Amino acid sequence: MIEVHVIDVPEFRPMVETQRNNPDVTITGPDKGYWTLSAPVQIVFSRKEMKMKPAVWYGIFTGGLNGEIAEWGRDEVRVVGTNRPL
Amino acid sequence: MTDTLGTRDDASSAASFNDAMGVGRGDLTGVRHASEDGVKLSLNGVDHTARPTWKLNETVEFYRDILGLPLVHAISARGWGPPGHHDFLHFFFEAGNGATIAFFYYIGSERPERYVPEEHHFYFATHTAWAVETEAELIEWKETLERRGIKVSPYTKHEILESIYFTDPNGYPVEVTRRLRETEQIDEVDAALTMQAAMEVETESRASGRLMPDIDTVWRRKARLVSDYKAGPQ
Repeated sequence: MIEVHVIDVPEFRPMVETQRNNPDVTITGPDKGYWTLSAPVQIVFSRKEMKMKPAVWYGIFTGGLNGEIAEWGRDEVRVVGTNRPL
Repeated sequence: MTDTLGTRDDASSAASFNDAMGVGRGDLTGVRHASEDGVKLSLNGVDHTARPTWKLNETVEFYRDILGLPLVHAISARGWGPPGHHDFLHFFFEAGNGATIAFFYYIGSERPERYVPEEHHFYFATHTAWAVETEAELIEWKETLERRGIKVSPYTKHEILESIYFTDPNGYPVEVTRRLRETEQIDEVDAALTMQAAMEVETESRASGRLMPDIDTVWRRKARLVSDYKAGPQ
């Protein structure tokens, strides 16, 4: 299971908003200032869809990532589950 | 404790450069935390930052004549204090809200090789960032400086700041920035958790004789800390 924690501030809120219609992603929160996105297999984020500037994009998982970055690009990132220690 | 300096020691009592400048050992073993003595020290913003310059004319021309910052104070003095100190000029440009940017010009010295600017992010980490209040002011800074012939970076939107960058004739990086929003309680909470995660990873990396591997490792530790934080007391 992947978990992506998203700080509930304007710069990062699009990470939540753009997953609202994704049936594979469960959204909880905001709880004590954090949203949590969880998914069994993968979560994909699109920079353009989120209208995120590069300086924010490169810090996209600053809220915490229980998962692993499988693909990383300028416009799309795909995270998958991991067994690596947190 | 009295509230005046009185007969307390001044710079003339220092026996060495390190004593005169308060140069520490870089080791915090045995140093007490603020929480241990209950004294809460406070600050009221920036008074000045200072760098050395070996280009007196260009520095004054750039800050006073091109940027338009008032030259508000200048010290000219014989070298004093530590042995070998050059005669010097120390001069200050007003940067708003009581802050100044200052320079030292050491007379009769040549710039050592290690002070030559480098095109590297380590070098650019040391910079001065000035605040403006509005988007219109930021645009005015960029467009005016460009019209005056200064090369200015594109606008860069960070998380809570939007900035432009340029360099002075010494090669020193300067930033003009505006706050995009006020920080909230959650920003402080999040900063504490991010830094806790990174500090834990640094400690563990050091213990195993490695460098910190990547930010992903910090993000995974942060995930655990955020989970614990959310599960903790409301």
